[in-house]
Amino acid sequence: MALRISKNMGAPQLATKSGYGRMATLLVVAAGVVALALPIAMPDPYFVHSCIVVLLFAYMATSWNFVCGYVGQLSIGHAMFAGVGGYATVLIFSRLGISPWLGMLVGGVLAAMLSVVVGYPTFRLKGPYFALTTIAFAEMIRIWVENTDTFLGIPLNGAAGITVPLVGESWVAFQFNGKTPYYYVILVMLVLALLATWRLERSKLGFYLKAIRGDRDAAEALGISPARYQLVALAISAFMTGVGGGFYAQFFRYVNADRLIGVEFSIDLALMSIIGGQGTVFGPLLGAVLLTPIAEITRGHLGGVLPGLHIVIYGIILILAVLYLPKGLIDPLRSILSRLSKNGRSA
Amino acid sequence: MDPLILGFAVVNGLLIGGIYGGVALGLSLIFGVLRVVNFAHGSLLMVGLYTAYWLQALAGIDPYASVIFTVPLLFCMGYFIQRVIIAPLIWRESALVVEPLSALLLTAGVYLVIDNLALMAFGPDVRSASTSLDMPPIMLGPIPVNMQRFIGFSAAILAAIGLVVWLRQTRMGRAIRATAQNRDAAALSGIDVPMIYAVTFGVGTALLGLFGSLLATFIPITPNVGLSFGIRSFIVVVLGGIGSIPGSILGGLVIGVFEAIASQFVPATSAAILSLGLFILILLVRPGGLMGKL
Amino acid sequence: MSGDGTPLLQVRGISKRFGGLQAVHDLSFDLRRGEILALLGPNGAGKTTAFNMIAGYFRTDQGRILFEGRDIAGRKPWDICRIGIARTFQLSKPFSDLTVAENLMVGGFVRRSEIDEIRAKALEIADFLGMGHQAATEVQHLTAFDRRKLELGRALSTEPKLLLMDEVVAGATPSEAQEMVELVRRIRDRGVTILIVEHVMKVIMALSERVIVMESGRLIANGKPKDVVRQPEVLKAYFGEGYAARA
Repeated sequence: MALRISKNMGAPQLATKSGYGRMATLLVVAAGVVALALPIAMPDPYFVHSCIVVLLFAYMATSWNFVCGYVGQLSIGHAMFAGVGGYATVLIFSRLGISPWLGMLVGGVLAAMLSVVVGYPTFRLKGPYFALTTIAFAEMIRIWVENTDTFLGIPLNGAAGITVPLVGESWVAFQFNGKTPYYYVILVMLVLALLATWRLERSKLGFYLKAIRGDRDAAEALGISPARYQLVALAISAFMTGVGGGFYAQFFRYVNADRLIGVEFSIDLALMSIIGGQGTVFGPLLGAVLLTPIAEITRGHLGGVLPGLHIVIYGIILILAVLYLPKGLIDPLRSILSRLSKNGRSA
Repeated sequence: MDPLILGFAVVNGLLIGGIYGGVALGLSLIFGVLRVVNFAHGSLLMVGLYTAYWLQALAGIDPYASVIFTVPLLFCMGYFIQRVIIAPLIWRESALVVEPLSALLLTAGVYLVIDNLALMAFGPDVRSASTSLDMPPIMLGPIPVNMQRFIGFSAAILAAIGLVVWLRQTRMGRAIRATAQNRDAAALSGIDVPMIYAVTFGVGTALLGLFGSLLATFIPITPNVGLSFGIRSFIVVVLGGIGSIPGSILGGLVIGVFEAIASQFVPATSAAILSLGLFILILLVRPGGLMGKL
Repeated sequence: MSGDGTPLLQVRGISKRFGGLQAVHDLSFDLRRGEILALLGPNGAGKTTAFNMIAGYFRTDQGRILFEGRDIAGRKPWDICRIGIARTFQLSKPFSDLTVAENLMVGGFVRRSEIDEIRAKALEIADFLGMGHQAATEVQHLTAFDRRKLELGRALSTEPKLLLMDEVVAGATPSEAQEMVELVRRIRDRGVTILIVEHVMKVIMALSERVIVMESGRLIANGKPKDVVRQPEVLKAYFGEGYAARA
């Protein structure tokens, strides 16, 4: 059948759309309630820690998706924005004594500025060329940080990385003894990122990105300057990723170039979005919720024995998803949802 | 600066650069024919390196002799990857030209699987193979030339020449070139395009088997050694012109000498940063690379 | 029927060279408000090059392009669109993973900011195209001809004063071509001035009040369709020396 109802459409199929929408809304509300109650219902620190990691990846993948998913370009360099945000947050706190809350925002702004420098020349490239160039940029930064002990008097500590100086439980210093506060912080960040994406789908910017993804020449003929709108979206995405890097630093109390700026981290973000469903609001979240636990479980139970197992599983799922579910796991989920709501109404 | 040191750097840069070029040959060939950027390229070199290492460690086979195993093994792996993993994409999109990003993602998946399987199987330890052959450096005037690197360099040049001759002179080679130029026309004239794709992929990775054996004696072997070789191969291929065989060697030589000389003035890591910068610059200002097409 | 006479577009001596090929040479013509002007010429005459220069896809080497008196030569395609010139592509380029309605919404943002207004306008255009029932269909499921109509509708969604059309009936069946001709007329009746590049003579005869003919980058004829097709230069350009002599 030629009709496909997607929830992001300005489609006039109102009956079907609202039926489907009701089901989806129900699901989102239920997920929200579960998310809010989770650390209260299951306060085990290890479990809460794992949940925070899931939410962090969901947030990061959602940030990646904000530009890459909608404009159809594959960035394998987003870790550089996380790195800038993470390092900035730690350094601003340890050197200047400024609260990490502010530091995260500064980190986000710096990441956005970097993204403009990187994106301006790069967005002209297409497909694999764009992807490889983003890797090259991120690798330049990673290698540089890894081999720089001090830069203009700022200690970067090379490959060893920087630890966050501990001051004990403090809201201002964004340091908590328990895990639960971190959980709610990242939950709020994730909700904001999802809202931003939801807004994007209904905005001029969102339509423009999808048009550029569809056909660049045709987009230009409709009054769209591809460079301009891609850069705006990239800057927003980089800002969100940078703030996420700041959270990463505060939560793990440690940043290093290999993990935070490395190719693997960038690939993780891309892979979760793609497997979940890029260019959708909830796809990256779905991808992170399904994939991150694999890493947590294999690391927790088999960590010493099989160090790379979860990535092998990621790789296999990625291959299968690209071949058999190119629109991501959210695609079949959507059809199930719309079928359910149809049955619900006819019954 | 001391001319002797500079001379030494240039000679070393040429040797290493030739090897870079040789390693990149397969990447260029595969891209030229299939339009697939093989993200797992470095990982397959890593497989070649480990194969050579284990053949020596377990069976006492000299790395140089292990070529007779690594080359067919890597050919089969490439053939398999194309037939089993990438070909379904071609059928799904019911077009002979795959969407390049999907293909890149598939090979990125292969990279993740291979690298981490190696990590699981062999652990993160650094290993190295050694040859029982006695190979003192030969002297080029006052400059000593490392034999193992020289062999790698020579193999790269010979492999490039062999590849060009093979593509020009043999029936299969001509079929590959025809497919690269116009796959629809090739398919119409009775060329079995899926088979050509698989063979091309196999040949591209078989070269990695060769270099796996030849490099095993002087490259520290770890599960993640592939990525840096892979990225460097991308640089080489973009520099030399994607799909160009001589361009691949030329690009390798340029990068090798560039890094060797740069590291006389700045730390080696800065030289690596500079070549990444060069890569970005080439992509932006001269995406065709130094040499044209296949 | 041919407009109110004031020039909307004045092309003044534009030229374009690609390497050794002079694709367009000193081309000048006027387009009056409200008319349908056809730009004809054999393959390689430079029509599409001229078209792309007006639409901002190629830079002009020389000359001016005045739209409502302002020189727009050298402006970027998106600026040209904002000024009020829309274009279609010879090979239709729909956003294939979006629905018909969404395809028609993208261009609306140039003129409006309220998304509900834009959606309403898009649905109105879908109805105009006779595609209202397909508004929620993803474009990849449309027939080639429907995509072609959508291409036209998408250009309309930017609410242009001037519409540049590149070979709208190529590959269409006679009945589809007829429908397309009707559609183009109705677009003109909405107050849009039209410049149409076309190969198919029959379409032009039915559609345009005035045609201009290019050959080897130069303008060789300008006038009413039935007069122009009798000019020896035109016949020669289209059918070769022998045909012109016989005629």
